[in-house]
Amino acid sequence: MKKEIATFNVNSRSYDVIITPNMTLSELLREKLDLTGTKYACGVGECGACTVLVDGKPVLSCSTLAIAVRNKNILTIEGLANGTNLHPIQQAFIDHGAMQCGFCTPGMIMMTKALLDENPNPTREEVKEGIGGNLCRCTGYVKIIDAVMAVAETMKKGGK
Amino acid sequence: MKEELSVVGKRLPQWAAHDKVTGTAKYIADINLPGTLAGKVLTSPHAHARIKKIDKSKAEKLPGVEAVITWHDIPQKLFNPSVQESILHDSRNEIDDMYILSEKARFAGDLIAAVAAVDEATAEKAIELIDVDYEVLPAVFDPLEAMKPGAPVIHDFAPNNISKHFVFPPSRGDIEQGFKDADVVVEATFQTSKQHMTPIEPCVCISSFDASGKLTVWSSTQRPFAYRTELAELFDIKESMINVICKHLGGGFGEANWSIVPVCVALAKKAKKPVKLEFSRKKSLVDVPTREAYIETGKLGAKKDGTLTALKENVIVHSGAYYNRSAATTVVNMGQFIGLYRCPNVYADMTAVYTNIPTSGGCRGYGTPEACFLLEQLVDMAAEKIGIDPVEMRIKNLKKVGDPSQTGMPIETYTQEKCIRTGAEKIGWKEKRAQKRAKGSKRYGVGMATFFDVSGGQPFEIFDRNMKITLDEDGAAIINTGIPDVGANLPGTAAQIAAEVLGLRYEDIHIVNGNTDDCLWDPGIGANSGLYGVGNVVIKVATELKKQILERAAKNLGVPPDELDIKDRKVYVKADPNKNMTVAEVSKAAIYNHEGQHHHIFAKGWFEPTKNPSPTGAAFADVEVDIETGEIKISKLVFVQDSGRIINPVTVEGQLDGGIACGLGYALFEDYYTNPKTGVLESDNFNTYKIPSSLDLPDTEVILVEEPTPSGPFGAKGVGMCGVVPIAAAIANAVYDAVGIRIKGMPLTPEKVLKAIKSK
Repeated sequence: MKKEIATFNVNSRSYDVIITPNMTLSELLREKLDLTGTKYACGVGECGACTVLVDGKPVLSCSTLAIAVRNKNILTIEGLANGTNLHPIQQAFIDHGAMQCGFCTPGMIMMTKALLDENPNPTREEVKEGIGGNLCRCTGYVKIIDAVMAVAETMKKGGK
Repeated sequence: MKEELSVVGKRLPQWAAHDKVTGTAKYIADINLPGTLAGKVLTSPHAHARIKKIDKSKAEKLPGVEAVITWHDIPQKLFNPSVQESILHDSRNEIDDMYILSEKARFAGDLIAAVAAVDEATAEKAIELIDVDYEVLPAVFDPLEAMKPGAPVIHDFAPNNISKHFVFPPSRGDIEQGFKDADVVVEATFQTSKQHMTPIEPCVCISSFDASGKLTVWSSTQRPFAYRTELAELFDIKESMINVICKHLGGGFGEANWSIVPVCVALAKKAKKPVKLEFSRKKSLVDVPTREAYIETGKLGAKKDGTLTALKENVIVHSGAYYNRSAATTVVNMGQFIGLYRCPNVYADMTAVYTNIPTSGGCRGYGTPEACFLLEQLVDMAAEKIGIDPVEMRIKNLKKVGDPSQTGMPIETYTQEKCIRTGAEKIGWKEKRAQKRAKGSKRYGVGMATFFDVSGGQPFEIFDRNMKITLDEDGAAIINTGIPDVGANLPGTAAQIAAEVLGLRYEDIHIVNGNTDDCLWDPGIGANSGLYGVGNVVIKVATELKKQILERAAKNLGVPPDELDIKDRKVYVKADPNKNMTVAEVSKAAIYNHEGQHHHIFAKGWFEPTKNPSPTGAAFADVEVDIETGEIKISKLVFVQDSGRIINPVTVEGQLDGGIACGLGYALFEDYYTNPKTGVLESDNFNTYKIPSSLDLPDTEVILVEEPTPSGPFGAKGVGMCGVVPIAAAIANAVYDAVGIRIKGMPLTPEKVLKAIKSK
């Protein structure tokens, strides 16, 4: 298969990577850049575990071709914290016990980021809808929704 | 037990939460060893077929292929895919009926051959080059058909496809006399569904042999030591030459990953290189065992005042292609059915049946939700016939402290009446049951169910826990424990208990876990066993460690050890708290003692559970049934739970939330579906097999009744499986209250509800 070098901006860093046309974004992140925080779980965009942000919009990285996002700004779970300072969403997930096994957590957090960037002041129903495509078998979602509501509240008070 | 607790009972962050929210927690698929080959498997497209000939020569010749294996290349040993069963269980009811790769396909998806190659694409190509000549055999998918004379024989040793039939030993009294003594007898048969476990993490395994022949296996297992024992036996490798590692797994709702492991090891052995084998979602859904599907027939006899006189259950266990945990889960089922209430005459038996559909094998709840579904509907049916409130009928038949629980072990504490009354009050039971509520095409009803659960597998399974705790130089304590992190925050709960006993802070406790080389033998996680067993061994070992710390500090502080205690990292003289030294100073004084007797302070020990306190609870559902569409909507769910002392409320609430969600999916829409003609699994992705999303969950109220149990760590009992147990039964009873129908087969889909309403 034809190979080419493409440039990817991931977590504010630029990478030149040799890719094939059929490589998915999740393969690029996990196998080429060793960013294994993004999870691979269904491979067909049904579970949301692989969610990352591309130019601020949530994208299912298992179902997105890498070539389609070159030169765009890709944000993964590894790029969310500011150095050792956790992003408020990450902190809220810890504080509210919004994870159990943690496998869906990176995708859930990235989806939450997209949701709150779009709608900083969501209702509980809007949060349910926002994360409706991110499956979790452990938590029953209650504490995830609590965490998202709490972080919206915190961000409203203290800014980002 | 301490009067004032400073760490136990607090809402503290989950262990490894920071790693999980930053994406740095490593799951098995995230591990990449240099030079690892990619594994792939060939599975049978036929539900039942004899392999006449298999030719792998073309695959072997493909450049980049390093190993191709079939039945001829694997150890010719049968095993039970449950692992736990053969290792931890009394083996009388167990059957070994599976090879690593099959000599004959028994379900569509059975593993036939495997390949290891330099990359996935090459491995995939090699799989396509394996020629298999199948003789397709007649297949049978229905357990009742499978038992009939002339049905296709799936395993030679079981000519009628019945692998096991036995009467549950705790059956007692005179069951026929019990029914004669009854004023009211009710009977029903239900078919429970084959729920997929669906951990979000797909099946994965990495195997690697080093130059000395030592095998390391990374696998998402709940039971690393049982895996090690089974691998040692299968591959003739000494246990000390195997390390099984699982720090985190991406969801643990039953042992999901066994069949991938020995194939991966066999590939690594043949290729002499590390092999990573990952299953797709589809293959994971076919391969991971499901909850057992039962055909359960129950009969209940009661006096006019509601007192039970007889309880009888016959369970047909639809095992699928392999036996797996058919007896283990069903023993728990039968224990629940005959053991939840006081009743003088009880009888249960089980018959396990093979068919050509994918295998069952012990999912969260482990036989109990199914027993609850049958028993709790029978109680409602009897209550209606007698004309007594189902709440009062249950309370009339409740057990008492000292009675045998469903495991036969004595009940230590018992708050069931309180759980039931609290839930009834919250849901508005009396008012809502008193009236038939309707609005347009909507009908409303309330229903309930109650249950027992376990705090471990005793007396059926070995569950002794071994542990080492080391005091580090800086005064932190390191717990080495064989438990993997399945998500239920057991490592964090263990850390809370250790901190409490040692007088340290939560963050002072570090956990090294899920690694058979680094830890003492541990049975692993399952059956609500973790908190009870691990918590108790933490108390025992931490108490010994504390004793050593005090003895060492006594030398420096110049008072006898019994005059000392530890609080907030300081060892102090009880009579004069200003006279103190930090635990770190004690540790350093022990290690760097130039006057001799220098040593590292550590303790190890074991705990053998001789008891099994039952967590109890009750669920109440308020439902809306649309008689035009058959849709069931849960307006409100109340769940009252007694899990003894709560070590971390966040964890316990989370366990119940998750269990309830699993129960809702099980009750309403999780629909395992195989093609009736081919036996091929068609509910093989998240679109065709829907698990609950955030949009599917009703308004739920979880209430904790906190009654410390004497034998539990700080009074705690198990909780992880409880949430799922009563949900389907409570909903089914509420649906009956709303529209007067009982659905014989789960899940309660709109189609079935509508059909039942129409044929009423």
